[in-house]
Amino acid sequence: MIAYFLRFACVALLLGLGMAGPALAGEPISLVSSPSNILMDATYDGTTLQVSGEVPAGSEVALRLVGAPEALHLREKGKVFGALWMNIGTLEFQNVPKIYLVAASKGFEELGAAGASLRIEGLRDTITQGHVSTTQGLDAMYELLRLKVQDGLYAESAQKIGLSEDKGGTRSFTTNLSVPSALSPGQYTLEAVALRNGDVLGTTSVPVRAQLIGLPAWLSHMAFDNGLLYGILATAIAVLSGLAIGMVFQSKGAH
Amino acid sequence: MDLSFSLYLPIAGNSVNVLVILGLGGAVGLLSGVFGVGGGFLMTPLLMMFGIPPTVAAASDSNQIVGASTSGTFAHFRMGNVDFKMGSLLLIGGIAGGSVGVQIIKVLRQLGNADFLISITYVLMLGFVGGYMFLESLQSMRASSKTQAESKSKPESTYARVIRSMPFQMDFPRSGIRVSVLMPLVLGTMVGVLSAIMGVGGGFIMVPVMVYMLRMPMHVVVGTSLFQILFTCINVTIMQASQNHTVDFVLALLLLLASSVGAQVGAKLGKKLGGEQLKILLASLVLLVMVKMLYDLLARPDVLLAYMGGH
Repeated sequence: MIAYFLRFACVALLLGLGMAGPALAGEPISLVSSPSNILMDATYDGTTLQVSGEVPAGSEVALRLVGAPEALHLREKGKVFGALWMNIGTLEFQNVPKIYLVAASKGFEELGAAGASLRIEGLRDTITQGHVSTTQGLDAMYELLRLKVQDGLYAESAQKIGLSEDKGGTRSFTTNLSVPSALSPGQYTLEAVALRNGDVLGTTSVPVRAQLIGLPAWLSHMAFDNGLLYGILATAIAVLSGLAIGMVFQSKGAH
Repeated sequence: MDLSFSLYLPIAGNSVNVLVILGLGGAVGLLSGVFGVGGGFLMTPLLMMFGIPPTVAAASDSNQIVGASTSGTFAHFRMGNVDFKMGSLLLIGGIAGGSVGVQIIKVLRQLGNADFLISITYVLMLGFVGGYMFLESLQSMRASSKTQAESKSKPESTYARVIRSMPFQMDFPRSGIRVSVLMPLVLGTMVGVLSAIMGVGGGFIMVPVMVYMLRMPMHVVVGTSLFQILFTCINVTIMQASQNHTVDFVLALLLLLASSVGAQVGAKLGKKLGGEQLKILLASLVLLVMVKMLYDLLARPDVLLAYMGGH
């Protein structure tokens, strides 16, 4: 059931991305990511995307890797009887991107209103909160964004993008975007935004797919599609390993 | 530099340093071999610190405990320290109690403030058990160093008389005791209820129960407790894997390889320590956990939201 839903969600996302593809507004913006897809094998420990492209002459650029909006249920911690901190309720958020990494060629505060809306705080406009928090006056959105930043899933880095001199009507940019190890497999969008005088000149985006391969792919398939067998195998191997190690120690002890 | 030691865990959805995980497993396995506890109370929060989601940390840990307690039970079995008869009766009670506990949790959640009750029960329980064990073993260590003959002339306590007058008396030769069959069944059920409510394996409560209420010798308690934990964790692992898909086997395998070795070393180490020393060390550990829980309750969390799951 869940698997079907996931498949449906993936298809919907792909369709959505297909439509968002080319640049808007006729301004020449291009964007290339290398590698173009993220392959997660057993040695995956985060990766670096080398991103380069072109924006109109005289403009600044911001890049963001955003992905997989999901619903998130979190526990709210609050004070009980004026002294004890514990879970006092649950909060539900919709449309929370799993990952939000944003970089810019200048400080965000120098990029005007458009720059500000690209920052992590700008997600307040798209994330929706299911109901109000149990604790009165708690800025739950702020706490959510902090939780994600602590996990390394949301990050912003200013002045990290190198821009060349204007050449013809364009200037080229290049940067390394580090992707955290806690990435989930799925479809992400890498977007370049050209900014000038606080306005967005244009955007373009490319899809970036994060995919499990090798042993992780097989294990994930087993765990999600054959849960019972996976559980039985996991316990059986654990028992056998425990016994084997016990035997090794026994034979050692005998000498 | 540590690039070669990193390993991506598909179910946990994060990568970990293999050496760190092996170290964690070894240390917790050692404790489990010495004291007959599963060690989930330590392992789950530690794994969360290393970026494993709470639900995956708890479920993979129970998978790990299957390996460690197999190894530990095996080691203690060879030393003649596993009372299978007693362990099985406690286990039957524990399984029944576990199902009752799950129902109680549901009712508590509907009434609200379940988490409050759970936290308070946990802290009080640990404080009481740890404190009692600590004082009791301290007293008997002092007493035994002063006079050794005194204990024989102690009058029989009311508790001992009640136990002796219960029906269905049965011999437990391995533990060297004779009690009613009802005792392990009822006590097992009670521990099962508590551990289901508190979301822990129950070793921490089971060990003192066997020592003080069933009056089994400490070394047999440790082996028997591990035997029991083994079956509880097999059950939990299979349930979690099939229903919640939260068992990360790669993580569990790394942990269990290290913790099985740790459990073997622990079992030998435990043999070298006296029963009273074991008790006092375990009591200190229990009290330490209680202080940590109390601190968590009193200190303001850094972020006021948390992911679901975990203990």
